[in-house]
Amino acid sequence: MSLTAEVTGGAAVAALPDGLDWFDIGHPDYTALIDADTAFWSLVRRDQTETVIADGALVQQWRDKRQSFAEEMDMLRFHLKPSAVYFNPTERCNLDCAYCYIPREMRKGGQQMSRETLLDAMARLDAYFARTLPPGRKPQIIFHGAEPMLAREAMFAAIDQYQDRFRFGVQTNATLLDDEAVAFLTRRGCGIGLSLDAPVPAVADRSRKRWNGDSVFESTLAAIERLRGYPGFNVICTMNRENVDQLTAMVEFLHEREVPACMLNFVRCTLQGGRDSWVEDATVAQAFTAALDRTHQLYRETGRKLVVANFANILISILAPTARRLMCDISPCGGGRSFFALVPDGTLFPCSEFIGLPEFAGGNLFRDQIEDVLETVPFKKVSERKVEDIAKCAICPVRHFCGSPCPAEAHEANGGMTQIGAYCDAYLEQARYAFRLIADGVENDFLWDGWDEGTETTFAFGAC
Amino acid sequence: MTKIDPKTIRPTVIASRKSCDAEGTGLSHYVLMDKQVKR
Repeated sequence: MSLTAEVTGGAAVAALPDGLDWFDIGHPDYTALIDADTAFWSLVRRDQTETVIADGALVQQWRDKRQSFAEEMDMLRFHLKPSAVYFNPTERCNLDCAYCYIPREMRKGGQQMSRETLLDAMARLDAYFARTLPPGRKPQIIFHGAEPMLAREAMFAAIDQYQDRFRFGVQTNATLLDDEAVAFLTRRGCGIGLSLDAPVPAVADRSRKRWNGDSVFESTLAAIERLRGYPGFNVICTMNRENVDQLTAMVEFLHEREVPACMLNFVRCTLQGGRDSWVEDATVAQAFTAALDRTHQLYRETGRKLVVANFANILISILAPTARRLMCDISPCGGGRSFFALVPDGTLFPCSEFIGLPEFAGGNLFRDQIEDVLETVPFKKVSERKVEDIAKCAICPVRHFCGSPCPAEAHEANGGMTQIGAYCDAYLEQARYAFRLIADGVENDFLWDGWDEGTETTFAFGAC
Repeated sequence: MTKIDPKTIRPTVIASRKSCDAEGTGLSHYVLMDKQVKR
């Protein structure tokens, strides 16, 4: 049976023009009609499919727009320039998390940038973006790790010096995020991301702990309290085999503490530690959608949202493909084309996921032109990976609402760039869930207010 | 998901699309969703 046949669920549906496929979203009243290549979709009442196709109006409007939608997707997929850097000022980390994508030996005693080196790197990045981005558009620096707060003094100096040139964010394990650090970052409008995997230490400590095994749950909780009320604050929860039964409780925990946004990320299987934490597709999909359901209930009960940002991005990829913010769920992914990663010795990788894979080093910020690095073989291997070249994706109706993440995972765990990564069935269920929300007219409940500011409607077919 | 009022009439076809200048920049290691933190 073909994947297309699988996803239609065997429903009795009308024959279609080339380019359109039915996609069973598991909704009692609606099924989806998708032109996968252009990310066009419509939801049609199951009992009206033959009538709608025979009527011809929907198909004609799709045909009228098909070329412009194709051009839009081409621009999104192949013609963006980098506008963000995942900047690792240190390889070191004071934690030893089970699934980290940075090799253990690096985290234990790796390199760390001095203040002078970090500021030199910032000057070079500033010069690059001045050459490549339109005037007025600020690039983004996300200090990441390993644990970037280990390089706090140098990092804060860069934020102070370049706050008018860049937008800044810090992703931290929160152990070093004291009152002074919170005051510094919040006064400057920096994004702050924390990591926490469960609402109780007994579970959270299984995957995230210090080198000696000690818990960091309380220090993370203290940071969450310090940041209460700050809109640029979020928490990443990595879904793995240790916490998969805690996801609903986790969103309740975060919502209660007024966290405005979180991510529920599938643990990446790039390195062995991640593969050891892998959780089976059906299990994680069920837990993930149950947690999303719970965020919706909490919103309806309280009027306050906890936006699950990675899922919100999937919804947006359907509603307004070019408005998506995250680039893991489009192919080619954003690695090496809309962002890249920098490590302390200046080496550039297409994405942080490749930092443990030396063959994907594309050059060095202190020796090479970034424009040249983007054209190197290691970068091109990532920035040219597309769903059309992956057998299972090439026939999948939701290939542009999934993107077949992640190239690092596909390469390391599944044997190459033309392989799928992990969680294919979970991503399929995620797309079905998103379409069901649209069918029920509740999609905006899962998105942050004003998500569509700056967009224009280019297709609307909603006549009763 | 939260139960929807069955009295709500939904159309035969739901289809829409919005567009803007693409500024997608992020990966799922950091929540890069809002265009600017409001201070």
